[in-house]
Amino acid sequence: MKVREVLGDDPEIVLADKRYDLIHTILETTLVRGAKKWALSDMLDKVFLHKYLGIPVFLALAWAMFRFAFDVSAPFMEIIGLFFGLLAEASRGIPNEVLASFLSDGIFGGLGFILTFIPLIFFLFLTIAILEDSGYLARVAFIMDRVMFKLGLHGRSFIPMLLGFGCNVPAMMATRSIESEKDRLITLLVNPFVSCSARLPVYILIAGAFFGSMASTAIWSMYFLGIVLAMLLALLLRKTVLRGEPTPFIMELPLYKAPTFHGSVIHMWERGVQFLKKAGTYLLVGAIILWFLSSFPWGVAQESVELSYTGQIGHALEPIFRPFGFDWRIVSSLIFGFMAKEIVVEALGIIYAVEGGEAIAGALVADYSPLIGFTLMAFTLLYVPCLATVGTMRKESGSWKWTIFQVVLSLVLAYVIGLAITGIGVMLGYA
Amino acid sequence: MAYTVALIGNPNVGKSVIFNNLVPGARQHVGNWPGKTVEKKEGKCIHKGIELKIVDLPGTYSLTSRAVDELIARNYIIEEKPEVMVDIVDASNIERNLYLTLLLLELEANLVIALNMFDIAKDKGYKIDMKALSEQLGVPIVPTVATTKEGMEELKDEIIKAAERKSSIKTKITYGEKIEDLIHSIVKIIKKDETLAKKYPLRWMAIKLLEKDEDILEKIRSSRYHHELMEVIS
Repeated sequence: MKVREVLGDDPEIVLADKRYDLIHTILETTLVRGAKKWALSDMLDKVFLHKYLGIPVFLALAWAMFRFAFDVSAPFMEIIGLFFGLLAEASRGIPNEVLASFLSDGIFGGLGFILTFIPLIFFLFLTIAILEDSGYLARVAFIMDRVMFKLGLHGRSFIPMLLGFGCNVPAMMATRSIESEKDRLITLLVNPFVSCSARLPVYILIAGAFFGSMASTAIWSMYFLGIVLAMLLALLLRKTVLRGEPTPFIMELPLYKAPTFHGSVIHMWERGVQFLKKAGTYLLVGAIILWFLSSFPWGVAQESVELSYTGQIGHALEPIFRPFGFDWRIVSSLIFGFMAKEIVVEALGIIYAVEGGEAIAGALVADYSPLIGFTLMAFTLLYVPCLATVGTMRKESGSWKWTIFQVVLSLVLAYVIGLAITGIGVMLGYA
Repeated sequence: MAYTVALIGNPNVGKSVIFNNLVPGARQHVGNWPGKTVEKKEGKCIHKGIELKIVDLPGTYSLTSRAVDELIARNYIIEEKPEVMVDIVDASNIERNLYLTLLLLELEANLVIALNMFDIAKDKGYKIDMKALSEQLGVPIVPTVATTKEGMEELKDEIIKAAERKSSIKTKITYGEKIEDLIHSIVKIIKKDETLAKKYPLRWMAIKLLEKDEDILEKIRSSRYHHELMEVIS
């Protein structure tokens, strides 16, 4: 007897059908289905999973999420800022000049400044945890799958993309659940464009300084830009170097349930603690290095930070960034930001602290236009992912070729988008 | 006396809640499956003086060789041969959940079904004749509501009963005469290869070969009867 005669061309599917037939037969005699009630879960899904409304509703919810986190955390951030301000002030009185500068500018001005973002990061994680625990995020995966499939991304890519909003490193590791090599590589390559929480302090600083009541909208637009670019790139890769069809995706939607306070707080804490750990390691080391480079050669740098090592590095590369209106401060901040993107903020904090310690937001507004601020936000989103992400890319893709491709792609994209934003801004008269 | 018990089930059936109910937090050990980034949780509990070593397998819908988590679960069952497998079935989605149950029966696992989310199934208006279901599948069934810890003691009782039954259940599940004939003719060949026959459940292996499962096709490549097998299945 031939297998083909019995099982046809796709035996796996035929056998699966057989199993379902059997389940059917068994349940016929053992299960009585009562009248199906019109449950709340179904009603919610009518809206949240709506063919056309689903995505706008998601975008609106995401915006509300930022708005909430931003507004609620503002007073807490203010308090922490004042606290470090006082510490910096106090440590300036230390007789040893170098130590005084190290503490007040490097530690309290740089590391302390980045720590003021803790409330915001925690509140944002709290809102994400609430959406996740309620069962809504799984729906987002579902509504996005339709779009992602059209764009050549696999449905399983969505979870890594979602994790990318926290940190791209675990997000890229999560791509291992994608079966097809091509699907996986595409997801890896576009993942760094999903805006991770490390970029958030940069957005908050810039948006807070320049955009006032529009700040949360400006931040939201960065996330939006990241997602759109990631999807367009995926489509482009799918049509060019990684040709092929994505494999279909089946997922299950859990029932909606009211998130518990306890559960959501635990989720928030687990993720927020990652930021604290980073602050204690990477960002601390970054602050020490940055303080050193910004305060030495001793004496000369105190005269003007422009003459410090940081200033020299920034000046050397400034011409490349001239079209965007970035000066040496921003340029050197961006360079150090390769270590970790929060360092962009830390670096600006230290540079301004060494310069004279006025409030950074005020100093930024005095030195740059809102257009430059917006370009800086976009540039921070796009230019080379941080050191850890590049390392992960190498490990997960197993190839230097694709790693370098990703880095070059990011730089080119950052530059092109930067030019586009500047160009459009100037045309609209925002120079 | 100690038994190894593996928990398995579809995603979102309350598997980790059951694991947490069975194993007190302090006795849990979280690690990774060897060489994989998939999380592995295990722990011990003692019930009526008998130690149960509980292993939490990844949540899966199926047991193909294509996805990492499915392969981990399936290799664990084949290689470690846990004394008892608890298949956690979402009672409110019983139709889809039983698919994995059938696959586990193919693997000749010594099954106990925890029919979880029993409360939600009731709310949905489901009435399940558990005695009849248990008889048709040939598997003991314990209704549970993991979130309120209902049915946990009964589940542990049933696990120990199953472990002491020793001989695993021979399934009564069949896929119709024609397919069974094919399965039978493949089984006859595999039986001749002692190394294969010792390592894998015969009927399961035959089904996987019919399905052209890549992992199993690879495994028979070195067999002396490779040629003979390929002739039947291709």
